[in-house]
Amino acid sequence: MKQAHFVARHEREWEQFAQWLDARAGSPRSARAARAWRGMRDEDMPARYRRLCQQLALARRRNYSPVVTARLQELMQRGHNALYRPAPPRWRRALEFLLADFPRLVRAQRGCLWASAGLFVVSTVAMYLAVRWRPELIHSLFDPQQLAQFESMYDPAAPDARLGRDSGSDLAMFGYYIANNIGIGFRTFASGLLAGVGSLLVLVFNGVIFGAVAGHLQGIGHGGPFWRFVAGHSAPELSAIVVAGAAGLRLGLDLVAPGRRSRLDALVEGGKVGGKLCLGVFAMLLFAAFVEAFWSSIGSIPGPVKFAVGGLLWALVLGWLGFAGRGRSVTAEPSPLPPGRQRGSAA
Amino acid sequence: MLDTFREVHTPEGVALRLPAAGPVPRALAWLIDLGIRFGVLGASSALLGVLGNAGIGVYLILVFVMLWLYPVVFEAMFDGQTPGKRAMELRVVSADGAPVGWLASFVRNLLRTVDALPLGYGFGLAASLWDPFGRRLGDMVAGTLVVHAPRLRMTSTPPVAGMHAPAHPLRPEEQLAVIAFAERAAQLTPERQEELADIAEPATGARGELGVMRLLGISNWLLGR
Repeated sequence: MKQAHFVARHEREWEQFAQWLDARAGSPRSARAARAWRGMRDEDMPARYRRLCQQLALARRRNYSPVVTARLQELMQRGHNALYRPAPPRWRRALEFLLADFPRLVRAQRGCLWASAGLFVVSTVAMYLAVRWRPELIHSLFDPQQLAQFESMYDPAAPDARLGRDSGSDLAMFGYYIANNIGIGFRTFASGLLAGVGSLLVLVFNGVIFGAVAGHLQGIGHGGPFWRFVAGHSAPELSAIVVAGAAGLRLGLDLVAPGRRSRLDALVEGGKVGGKLCLGVFAMLLFAAFVEAFWSSIGSIPGPVKFAVGGLLWALVLGWLGFAGRGRSVTAEPSPLPPGRQRGSAA
Repeated sequence: MLDTFREVHTPEGVALRLPAAGPVPRALAWLIDLGIRFGVLGASSALLGVLGNAGIGVYLILVFVMLWLYPVVFEAMFDGQTPGKRAMELRVVSADGAPVGWLASFVRNLLRTVDALPLGYGFGLAASLWDPFGRRLGDMVAGTLVVHAPRLRMTSTPPVAGMHAPAHPLRPEEQLAVIAFAERAAQLTPERQEELADIAEPATGARGELGVMRLLGISNWLLGR
């Protein structure tokens, strides 16, 4: 068939398809609202799209000119994008993720999680003991100015002062904790791509700093205010860093030992898991920043209340990570489609 | 063909052609985005500075949003295009050609941390030069690809100017060249048209203006008008 005949025969279809794409493909939500549409019906779209694909294949096979093939190619790509775009995020889904999927995903990374927690806890405790045993060790980590700053932040002689900060209002510190801590959480995961070494270093480094500061302040008698400050937000913050570290270690393992998958496939899988874990870490650190800025810093609340709240938060976080989402499967995701084409929502 | 097209076969059995973008346009797009981000932060710091301490808090949250969420939100909500990518006519797509999702966009932007190492996106540059499709490390892990997405400039249909049979049968690639000439003729100067048509003298049997007319006629004959 000559090109001109081919175009004349199918042109109307292509125009209808293009009109449908212009009017309806952009946003399914507004498309549902607009009932006055008189063009191609929505339910015909997949069939028309497949027809268009066949016409494009024919046009290419017959060496038709770019005027036809480029036009069909463009229509086809737009149709493909409309047909295979990911579903829009839903609030309900976000809740399900936080209450069930995320804890489940964390438990699924059991090995990396223990390794990550082990690295952090061991380096913290070791450094704490080391500084208690040899107080001068602290000077190899911090210069005197920094130390003076820490000491003034947790000075038991100034009971009315805000704990854990030398200046700044609650809101300013909330912003600071968000910008700083969530960034650290994300970097802990991402640096795992360096064969896991990055995450390992971040975990150990944070453990060493935390342990050293704790040991030093305990040693000079500033331990009370320090623990009162830390108790509240320690549960969400420390466990979030451990989870982020586990995600990073998992990514590193996928790079180093992909098993029977190709290295790239393993990384893509690790990336998906890590990305989801980071979403949860984001939520945890957001909560931690809130607690740290608006609760932990209140100096006038007595120690027992602080520790009780801290313990409660630890119980809640560990209970949530350990038990949420067990039992009934909220969102089992059976995927009959081959990998790589699992998403798909018709407009 | 030596090119950076990535062909992805859709379930419908046709190939999506994804023209992978190299490091230079992507770096330019990144610089544009960087300018926008700094612009927004600069403007807001001037405004929020009035509010004192509370302003600092809001400003720091804004810093976080600009650093980590800006690319994700734009890529996921605006068809894989941040403003910088839109300006450079680039687009992030999933490796199978589908639009990029929230999670994939989140992962590829988290891993900028690693791509930016040791400094100035060194790892990212090395990876994108090594990879046949110019992907940086974050793209590999997220399963995404940055492609050129030029706004389509429709080539005009060739003018109908009679029909003319070629002096001798044309080979398929010659037919394609003749049709391509006819479709592009409107964008060429008359002198250039004649110059090109003269090459096809064996088929048209004429030179100069007549050669152009006959070549357009051959194209119409081939297209079947």
